[in-house]
Amino acid sequence: MNRGTWLLGRLAQIVPSFLFIGVAVFVLARLLPGDPVSAMLGDHATDATLARLTAQLGLDRSIPVQLMQFLGGVLRGELGDSIAYRIPVARLIAERLPATVLLTLLSVAIALALAVPLAFVAALNANRWPDLLIRFVFQIGLSTPIFYVGLLLLTVLAAWAHLFPVGGYGDGWRAHLWHLFLPALTLALSFAAVLMRSLRGAVLDVINAEFVDFARSKGLRARVLLGRHVLRSAMIATVTLVGLHVGSLLGGAVITESVFAVPGVGRLMVESIFARDYPVIQALTLVLAVFVSLALLATDIVQMWLDPRVGR
Amino acid sequence: MSNGLVLTRRAGLALAAGFAAVPVLTLPGVAQAAPVRGGKMVYGRYADSLFLDPVLNDANVDIWVMNNLYDTLLTPMQDGLGVAPGLATKWSMSADGKSLALTLREGVKFANGTQMTAEDVKWSLDRARNPKNGAWVDLVASITDVVIDGPLAVTVKLKHPDLSILAALATFNTAIMPKALFEATQGATDAEKAKAFAEKPIGTGPFMLVEWQRGVIMKLVRNPYYWKMAPDGKPLPYLDALDFQIIPDDSTRLLKLKAGELHGTEFVPYSRVKEIQADANLRMELWPSTKVTYLTMNVRPKLGDGSVNPLSDVKVRQALNYAVNKDAVIAITTQGLGTPMTSFMSKSTPMQHAQTLYKADVAKAKALLAETPFKAGFEVTCMMVAGNVDSTNNLTTIQQMWAPLGVKLKIEQLDNPTLTKRYRAGDFSMRTASWTDDIADPNQITSYFAYFPNIGSLHSGWDNKKVNALFETSQEEVDPAKRKAQYREIQEVYTEEAPILFLYESPYPVAFRKNAMGFVQIPLGNNLFEGAYLAA
Amino acid sequence: MRAWLPLGTGLLILTAFLVMAVIPESIAPYDPLGFDFAALLAEPSAEHIFGTDQFGRDILSRTIAASRIDLQIALFAMLGPLLIGSVIGLLVGWFGGWADALFGRLADIVVTFPFLVLVIAIVAVLGPGLINMYIAVSCVGWVVYARLMRGEVRIQAQADYVAAARVLGYSTARILLRHVLPNAVRPVLVYAVTDMALAILTGSSLGYLGLGAQPPTAEWGVLIADGRNFFTTAPWISLAPGVAIVLAGLGFSLTGDGLQALLDVKR
Repeated sequence: MNRGTWLLGRLAQIVPSFLFIGVAVFVLARLLPGDPVSAMLGDHATDATLARLTAQLGLDRSIPVQLMQFLGGVLRGELGDSIAYRIPVARLIAERLPATVLLTLLSVAIALALAVPLAFVAALNANRWPDLLIRFVFQIGLSTPIFYVGLLLLTVLAAWAHLFPVGGYGDGWRAHLWHLFLPALTLALSFAAVLMRSLRGAVLDVINAEFVDFARSKGLRARVLLGRHVLRSAMIATVTLVGLHVGSLLGGAVITESVFAVPGVGRLMVESIFARDYPVIQALTLVLAVFVSLALLATDIVQMWLDPRVGR
Repeated sequence: MSNGLVLTRRAGLALAAGFAAVPVLTLPGVAQAAPVRGGKMVYGRYADSLFLDPVLNDANVDIWVMNNLYDTLLTPMQDGLGVAPGLATKWSMSADGKSLALTLREGVKFANGTQMTAEDVKWSLDRARNPKNGAWVDLVASITDVVIDGPLAVTVKLKHPDLSILAALATFNTAIMPKALFEATQGATDAEKAKAFAEKPIGTGPFMLVEWQRGVIMKLVRNPYYWKMAPDGKPLPYLDALDFQIIPDDSTRLLKLKAGELHGTEFVPYSRVKEIQADANLRMELWPSTKVTYLTMNVRPKLGDGSVNPLSDVKVRQALNYAVNKDAVIAITTQGLGTPMTSFMSKSTPMQHAQTLYKADVAKAKALLAETPFKAGFEVTCMMVAGNVDSTNNLTTIQQMWAPLGVKLKIEQLDNPTLTKRYRAGDFSMRTASWTDDIADPNQITSYFAYFPNIGSLHSGWDNKKVNALFETSQEEVDPAKRKAQYREIQEVYTEEAPILFLYESPYPVAFRKNAMGFVQIPLGNNLFEGAYLAA
Repeated sequence: MRAWLPLGTGLLILTAFLVMAVIPESIAPYDPLGFDFAALLAEPSAEHIFGTDQFGRDILSRTIAASRIDLQIALFAMLGPLLIGSVIGLLVGWFGGWADALFGRLADIVVTFPFLVLVIAIVAVLGPGLINMYIAVSCVGWVVYARLMRGEVRIQAQADYVAAARVLGYSTARILLRHVLPNAVRPVLVYAVTDMALAILTGSSLGYLGLGAQPPTAEWGVLIADGRNFFTTAPWISLAPGVAIVLAGLGFSLTGDGLQALLDVKR
């Protein structure tokens, strides 16, 4: 099949995917024990108050009715109101999404900046001390729990050295980047380790591959070979990993966002789960699904473009 | 209205006994930096408010900041034991105790410049006592009518004498809101209007809300029409602006304070208090509170699975209480900042009757247990909210202390909604809990802890007919001395029956930078910023 | 040759932890659950090499005792996804067709949910504790293994020896189990070893949120999280368990590297 058909096919799969995700998250959210009203009103509200608020929020209607309302609303572009905060979910998500997106992009950038050059250094010095040192340092970064790393960076570089602000987000682009540097670095450390290892392997593969010897025997200079073939192979591996990682970064940077007080969607998602705020959980999942799908699609497209062998 | 640090003598002594570096507490005008006008104070909170409507709101996170936006007719005194004038300047109760006449303060304006009138007062009180509205109706349930006698006079009519009515009029849900503005807000029902109105609330309080990013930051600015005057004759507040930053992570919040990015913060973990006191740039403030920490016990005869509930036997409960060394728990969890409970209500609650509560005596505990069918010991599970450091510390310590009795305590960390659901359904053995009063009167805490018809005595199932009757009588009691005696008896029975595991009272741990002054937290928990300022 | 250095070092480290996990009583100087009111928050000293916590419990002893729990976590949190994912990946990679398409959709959906969030949600449904954590991690983590296995199986399916086996009339089951699986499983096993380190980290993240191992059980992540309120006043509380996690991670990673070189597996 040609690429155009493949692309259309992929796009067409998105709608039923989303429907499935929507229903799945609706059901899963309601599997969580407890309910948003009693969670919100606390232990000491009377049953009458609970019943009143439940009815007010429409949560006493039957499950299928609620599901229809939710799906219908989504199709109309209405995501409902947050139960806890009583403001439109769309507004809540719009307030929090930019921070997470920026954090994700920044952490990928930092990870690439760390991993790419060091991967080459490691590969070209395979199994000698630069390689071992690099791998050792990255391993430490990979093995340390993320909240520990975050707290360490926050304490030393922000609170003591005053090089960075202590968490938060700031106002304005430059402030955002400055505030997000440390959390982005924290997130980047483990991803950079994975990236570095993969890239190093890719570079080594190319160096060791037979065709390099063959090409050498034909007189082509090593540097040219390295440049073209290694770069392409490395890029494919990198793009795949970044694409896979973006999804998990977008919603999964929960702990980093907590430690650094970043107003992002990772924290919002977990807070909503802990508050059983169904509309937010549902809407946020769909929003994340959109982003992840786009990321995966972009990854596939770039892969297709880079590697003539891939075509499905 | 003072703007300095005022602590009760008892609390002051307790503090002095505890540490060396306690700040000198002064009355206004005495050896303290003079208030400076202007500036923006940034205060760190651990959780955001949810809904800023006085009647429909739900939680402490709303109540404790609401008084910066709204005022009540009367205000609680700083020691929590009485009331002072607020939006009402004079009041007098009729002889039969069923009619309270109030004189309203002249010249009070809402934050948008409109005059406050008796109409607004009547409307606000009627809204607060409407049984369809919110969870706090019980506090003003005795009001039958609010009559407007004149442009600055109202009379509150009660269906029976209610000695708590003054305290009730100082409680957040009776805050005065602008009737015309609220009714003009978009929305078909009161709830819808409240939702819209709460986005840009207009009250008579010292500040008004200008921006609110949920879960991130709440920005307040000075209300130019505020009625309360500072000692220098000009209106309060001193600050031009007040920001509440939401930082749920304790460590991060304190790091921000130390780095100077916050002027103050609440809920300082007890383990960090000494560290703050040792820091020359910071000042630890330990405000007397109505906060009590305890373990709720399910005292029903059978558990959910049909087995006999050991906690239904009063001797077992007493034994468990005797086995816990409260001083050790206080030392470990609160680093010595707490004090043992002397009743189920705190010292700062009016009419508290202090008793010696189960002084640690392991031998006595074992003896008591031996008189029950459970002398061989038993296993019991205690629920707690996941991640709560104080609960973890308390339960870990108690676990050790019950082991010699053969009582095996299992700790179950649950997230809040799961815990709440099981708790309300009575599907639990024990759970960690704390309580702060919302009204400067013992009726609220008693109705929740001891009066079965309300919520089953903290959902424990403890149904004591004598206490129920005493409470009902006290609600309509005319004679303050008799009411006090009734509460005394309630507390004595409660102590004897021990439906909870008594632990400790602890102060509100708030920390500020050296130049941030004037903050007040009353025992009910309200955060008062009207007198706060940033010294040079 | 290059395999033995990392493999040897990694196994050495892991063996040390294994010993600590099996006989902590012989190695630990104190009872990990023992309170000591006389030594609350004690600084590292001759008596307590890594100091004590707020209950007076010896940090070193607790860290050693935690090895058992954390190695268990490493094993079980990896085993579930490994087994489930490998089986699914094997079948889907071989038979293809609608099963493969369904797997693709399901995998995409699971991947959409951030890993930690899904684990938190499942633990919220099932309740806290280690067993439920294993279940939660299995529900989410199988996808990676399935994808790996599927990819490898598809490559193997094109191999000459498979065509030969088919010509010879071998049954599908025999081809799969005796020929394809042993070849395809190698990269999966390499990944599994490094995944064990990630499993410990997931356990520690849940411990930070209070949803992992319950008190007073010692687990490295929970120990570190307990120390965060004493970060500047008693930093030793988080130090020993932190070092333990890093070392254990190093052990798994080196072993994985060595295994990769040994089995001649391409990344």
